[in-house]
Amino acid sequence: MTGMAAHSSADPGAFARRRALKAGSRPLAVVALAVAALFGLGFLSLMYGAVTLSPGEAWSGLTSDSNVFARNVVWQIRYPRLLDGMIVGAALAVSGTLLQGVTRNPLADPTILGITAAAGLASATVIVIDPQVPQWGIVLACVVGGLVGAGVLFVIAWRGVVSPVRLALAGVALSAFFGAVIVALLSSSRTFLQTSLGFLAGGLYGSEWRDFQAAAPYVVPGLIGAVLLSGRLNVLALGDEVAAGLGVLTDRTRLLILAVCGVLTAVAVSIAGLVSFVGLVCPHLARYTVGADNRYLVPVSALYGALLITAADLTARLVIAPSEIPMGIFTAAVGAPFLLYLVKFKG
Amino acid sequence: MKLTVENLSLGYSGRTVVKDVSLAIDAGEMVAIVGPNGSGKSTLLRGMSRLLKPESGRVLLAETDIRHMGAREVARQLAVLPQAPDAGSDLTVRELVWRGRYPHQGILQRATKADYEAVHWAMHGADVADFAERPLAELSGGERQRAWIALALAQQPRVFLLDEPTSFLDIAHQVEVMHLLRRLNHEGMTVVAVLHDLVLAGRHADRVIAIRDGQVEFDGPPREVFEPRALERVFNVPMMVIQDPETGLPIPLPRPDPRFCPVAHAPATDEPGK
Repeated sequence: MTGMAAHSSADPGAFARRRALKAGSRPLAVVALAVAALFGLGFLSLMYGAVTLSPGEAWSGLTSDSNVFARNVVWQIRYPRLLDGMIVGAALAVSGTLLQGVTRNPLADPTILGITAAAGLASATVIVIDPQVPQWGIVLACVVGGLVGAGVLFVIAWRGVVSPVRLALAGVALSAFFGAVIVALLSSSRTFLQTSLGFLAGGLYGSEWRDFQAAAPYVVPGLIGAVLLSGRLNVLALGDEVAAGLGVLTDRTRLLILAVCGVLTAVAVSIAGLVSFVGLVCPHLARYTVGADNRYLVPVSALYGALLITAADLTARLVIAPSEIPMGIFTAAVGAPFLLYLVKFKG
Repeated sequence: MKLTVENLSLGYSGRTVVKDVSLAIDAGEMVAIVGPNGSGKSTLLRGMSRLLKPESGRVLLAETDIRHMGAREVARQLAVLPQAPDAGSDLTVRELVWRGRYPHQGILQRATKADYEAVHWAMHGADVADFAERPLAELSGGERQRAWIALALAQQPRVFLLDEPTSFLDIAHQVEVMHLLRRLNHEGMTVVAVLHDLVLAGRHADRVIAIRDGQVEFDGPPREVFEPRALERVFNVPMMVIQDPETGLPIPLPRPDPRFCPVAHAPATDEPGK
């Protein structure tokens, strides 16, 4: 080691550093743009809905008590709903990024691998058993369900070494099974149509501050965990043998990553039900804009997820205003063609 | 850095592939491991690099059991290049090589001057700097293999293990890779490569270890151990050894069977076919 690195010239890194800096400034620009877009779109979603507020009304509703009506619309309904949507989008997108990295499969996402359905099954079960269950109970159930889903996926796919193909196949089967049980559960309960449609298709109808408060204790550590694991995920993407040779404990890392995915997906399900395709589309968009480095992909796809859900929810509220349709329909409308495109050209 | 294998047995789910192997590889040696398919040479390499847990026995790096070292601690001193690795993405060469710094970097730690220097050295050492910004998928087989070697070099290892680094490469690229390994070896790196090609092993290795049925069949400098009888025992095919007219080094070849040779090119020598 000593003699080998030493023969380099005075400042051999200078050129490499310049190149890296140039490449490194791009993610920053992307993040800045996405944050700006998120603020813009977020403000629009404070203005529009069943009633339209002018920009001035929305702003005063957000920042002061002067206009009681605007204050109520913004603070009681739209602002918490906006933040809930951002959490859902970021959680699903990051979960998808981690899953695509850990399975080395561009088609992986929490819905396709069955984690969404596992969390949804847990959520539907507690709601059917006790319709009055508090939000923290639903989140807890979802987290347990999400972790169990991720764990079952890991165990079923396990045979000494977890192969990406086996993981994906197991996910497809689990997803179909849990999905069927959810529908069976919901159809046998009395409140089927009203709440269940929003839950099955995925929507933010009626989401409130308590959703945000119940989700925060899970989503914050989940996102931090994702950022901390992203460096190891980079190495894991080189294949198990290379990763192990570089000092990554592959199975332990995979288990940790799946656990984070389980928690993040669960949080999203507890708020918005079975939203599909966000975890599939956003990582690809992020990869397209900032490249394959997961340390950039995680935050950037989180922003894209928040953007996508905010846009989808705004659309859902506006299409047949003053009524609304489940937001998940729009993420599916964007996501399904995208999946077909991936299968055709990347799968 | 010395690598010692003591009574190592290892395998997969109960099936022991490597049986009670002991070896001492000295610092600065260039060693080729040869043997037929399924003889356990790749498995031995996995055991030596902490990729596979031994059933019994141990592997020492310098004086320490690698099982008692942290995974990253091992990776800072020993690099391993598996057979036909696949990054499975549109990673560029530079991005790939940077990932070799993983065992040296802390979580969320910014790249240090030492990281840049190591990457620079690795890319020039493996001669990939000219196409550093190109994605792996666009490279030729030889270029891609050099990119993977550069990844391992970025670890700044003192011991470098490679599993069939020349497979799937044409002759020019095979020679290129072997010359690169030899150059690294001259700079002080211990190199251990599983090789299928006995000609390359005889030409570039200081020492050849032959594995058969998970055990060492012979072990020594090619001039001494490349001997037809010994090779026949290992590979189970009639062998002959000719001498490289330029270096005097042994070139092992399978003995030709005239029934399967073109008639027009019958042997010109007077040596009978036994």
